[in-house]
Amino acid sequence: MKTQVVDVKNVKKFYGKKGENQSIALNGVSFSIHEGEFVGIMGPSGSGKTTLLNVISTLDHATDGVVQIAGTDITIMKQDQLSDFRSQKLGFIFQDFNLLDNLSIYENIALPLSLQGVPSREIGPKVKKVAETLGISAILSKYPSEVSGGQKQRCAAARALVHEPAIILGDEPTGALDSKNAASLLEAMTNLNDEQGVSIMMVTHDPLSASYCRRILFIQDGELYKEIHRTSTRDAFYKEILDVLAGLGTQKA
Amino acid sequence: MLFKLSMSGLKSKLKDYLVLLVGLVISVSIFYLFQTLALNRAFIEANSVISQIQFVFHAGSVLLAIITFFYILYANSFLLSLRQKEFGMYMMLGAKKRKITVLMFIETIVIGFVSLIIGIALGIGLSQVIGQLLMKELEFTAGGYHAFYVPSIVVTCIFFLVLFMLSAILNSIKLSRVSVLQLVHSDVQAENSFVKGKKTFGIAFLSIILLAIGYAAMLNMATLQQLGIIISLVTTTSGTYLLFMSVLPLIIKKLKANKKRFEKGINAFTFAQLNFRINSLTKVLATVAMLVALGAGAISVGMAFKNNVMIMVEGFNTYDVVTHNPTAEEKNILADIKFDEKYEYHYKVDDQFVYYTKEDLEKQRPIIQTFQDEKSFRKKEKVTGELPVGSIVGLEDQQSGLAVPEEWAFALDTIQPYYLYPDHKIKIIDQKMFGDVKGKEGIAIIGKSDDFQAYMMEWKKIDELQQKKYGNDTNMYSKYRSYQDMYGFASGTIFMGFFLGIAFLAMMASCLMFKILSGATKDISRYQMLRKIGVRSTLLTKSIYKELFLVFLFPAIVGIIHVLVGMEMFSFILIAPYFRVWLPIVIFTVIYASYYCITVQLYKGIVFPKTN
Ligand SMILES: Nc1ncnc2c1ncn2[C@@H]1O[C@H](COP(=O)(O)OP(=O)(O)OP(=O)(O)O)[C@@H](O)[C@H]1O
Ligand SMILES: [Mg+2]
Repeated sequence: MKTQVVDVKNVKKFYGKKGENQSIALNGVSFSIHEGEFVGIMGPSGSGKTTLLNVISTLDHATDGVVQIAGTDITIMKQDQLSDFRSQKLGFIFQDFNLLDNLSIYENIALPLSLQGVPSREIGPKVKKVAETLGISAILSKYPSEVSGGQKQRCAAARALVHEPAIILGDEPTGALDSKNAASLLEAMTNLNDEQGVSIMMVTHDPLSASYCRRILFIQDGELYKEIHRTSTRDAFYKEILDVLAGLGTQKA
Repeated sequence: MLFKLSMSGLKSKLKDYLVLLVGLVISVSIFYLFQTLALNRAFIEANSVISQIQFVFHAGSVLLAIITFFYILYANSFLLSLRQKEFGMYMMLGAKKRKITVLMFIETIVIGFVSLIIGIALGIGLSQVIGQLLMKELEFTAGGYHAFYVPSIVVTCIFFLVLFMLSAILNSIKLSRVSVLQLVHSDVQAENSFVKGKKTFGIAFLSIILLAIGYAAMLNMATLQQLGIIISLVTTTSGTYLLFMSVLPLIIKKLKANKKRFEKGINAFTFAQLNFRINSLTKVLATVAMLVALGAGAISVGMAFKNNVMIMVEGFNTYDVVTHNPTAEEKNILADIKFDEKYEYHYKVDDQFVYYTKEDLEKQRPIIQTFQDEKSFRKKEKVTGELPVGSIVGLEDQQSGLAVPEEWAFALDTIQPYYLYPDHKIKIIDQKMFGDVKGKEGIAIIGKSDDFQAYMMEWKKIDELQQKKYGNDTNMYSKYRSYQDMYGFASGTIFMGFFLGIAFLAMMASCLMFKILSGATKDISRYQMLRKIGVRSTLLTKSIYKELFLVFLFPAIVGIIHVLVGMEMFSFILIAPYFRVWLPIVIFTVIYASYYCITVQLYKGIVFPKTN
């Protein structure tokens, strides 16, 4: 059995002060992701997906529970350790793209490499390669304000992939993409997952995107609701996902 | 309805408005501060040793007006940028453009009006406080200086009302020109439109030429007079602006072009930050450079005049104290002073001569001033020659061989001041003859302390005691009195120099801080994002220090060069304008460095979230 990359135990997250109108975003979630897995998280809007991702990505503190990544308990890590951890081990694709508007696309993608002290001559080829994969080679010299929403999202993805992190966390990485671009991004992620054993955890609303995953966790009202595995083809998995979602909908209504 | 909405928008950006208001208030109060001097003609003419002082102030007023003009325009474009997105949103939802434009106009005017009132109040308070403090510090009683000065209030009001009206119109025009889409996306538009290639070099070249002309005019101020002031004012100012507009982007571009350096760590971000706003920064930095030049320049001039007092005093008086037959009280005071050199000479007086002995004098050779030419004004040496026995000071007939050598005559001038025995000549004799002379015996003491200015109270006391001793009829003369006279002569100019220096430096600080803090809100999300992808906060802090350091550095360098060249202008009135010029520059550097640290802290406070 492979080692666990992410291990979440009974994690709770409450927003607001105790007592007065506290909102419960996560209410005791437990699961784990093994090395090399490709996991999807699905659930209705407001169910706590982004919150979960933020807690795992060390951006937010859990109110209660334990989060272990690659064997380390991140809830007890120091600020600087967390920063280093994020820059070396994690790759993010945020729901809002979070590109730096004062850096060109190229510079944005190169940033994680620069931060890790990769020598300048190695940066160029790496950036070009990942840009090629995601079809954004032509816009590398532009600034974020000069490209489309979908292009921005692919740039954000390129930035998350470029330094070959141990785990990629995506919050709706295909949200603003057309089906062709979404597919190429997902293919790229699948390749990374297959060939380099990079673990991926991705939040998505889109069943088709989700069907690229190997396993899907459904959450509702801050709790784990169901978990399904892909056993056969993607098409079959897609149908299965649709079924679960339908179930979720009716149950909620 | 729209009004209410816009008020709520205003509230949500309270921090930015505060920055804006503080910036405007300070510029108003500094302008007022300057005008309390500039318009008070009677005061400045009565208290300055510079004959063209009125003209200098006119020139200064024009310069300050230009700087303030740019500053206010910038501040108001910041106001517009605060509102753009929100107003764009209203328009998208169907608000009429005309209404929005009117709203913008009113808002600009209201903010201008508020800052004008607070600014003048603050200005009155500041000029009161600074004026009083300086007068106390400089022991200078400036009769006729008014902190509350109606003409200055009127001029300040008119000037700023016109400026605010103008910028209100400009803001409205700008708002009515842009499209709704541009407004909504106004916060993500890059500001990186460079002046391109050849043109930049052309402008850079032009700026250097202008600066060269300006410097040449300053160096030849003595011949050019008023024309020189006008020429240097125009060329130096425009040269500085052009220099910053052309050369600074080039430097940043060059720094950025070095891929090895650029792609190292956080540098990419640091330089991108600089590069991103360099265009909006250039004008502000040029303004800051001018203010640095004016502020540090005014303080340097003030100090140079202050130093000049001591240079003159030292030039005329080598020894700090000269007293004859000190009383017990005098001796007490003298005992507490640390002397580098202190000599006692015995003398006798009969009804014709004052007798000094050759042995006494040659054993204790005093230092004298060698007045060869202007350059060696301060050159001092011990008397070297021999003193012939029987020689007499002040003998008309040099040929007779009985005259005291010139050097010794100078020395004896100090030892035996003229006012003690106006109708006696001094005669040098040897020890044996001295014993035979019948007459009143006396003792002359001359002393040079380790620091004249450290014992002001003591000199004053000795001076009073001596006057009592010699009687009020004696037209006494001393180093202390010479200092008092010189200082009284220069203190008005010193006062103005310091006063203006403080004013300009305050304006400079507010200008820089305002520029940097007004951009800070936009940076919040950038730093947040960097933290998300795992940049240590220590690294981010370093990036901020570095970026702001570069921003602070350029204007300081240019400003200080201006000062160093500009000091030459005063060589016609000061003996050594560059004497101890490092002192005001060090003081300025310390002040400037603390501005830098404060700005970084404030900026960090805005950009980084509070740690909980
Ligand atoms: N900063 C916050 N303060 C208070 N409540 C919050 C905060 N962030 C999220 N919430 C609440 O927590 C719950 C979960 O939010 P979360 O962003 O995780 O949802 P989500 O599953 O990502 O939804 P979506 O699919 O719409 O992005 C929601 O009810 C939300 O209102
Ligand atoms: Mg979400």
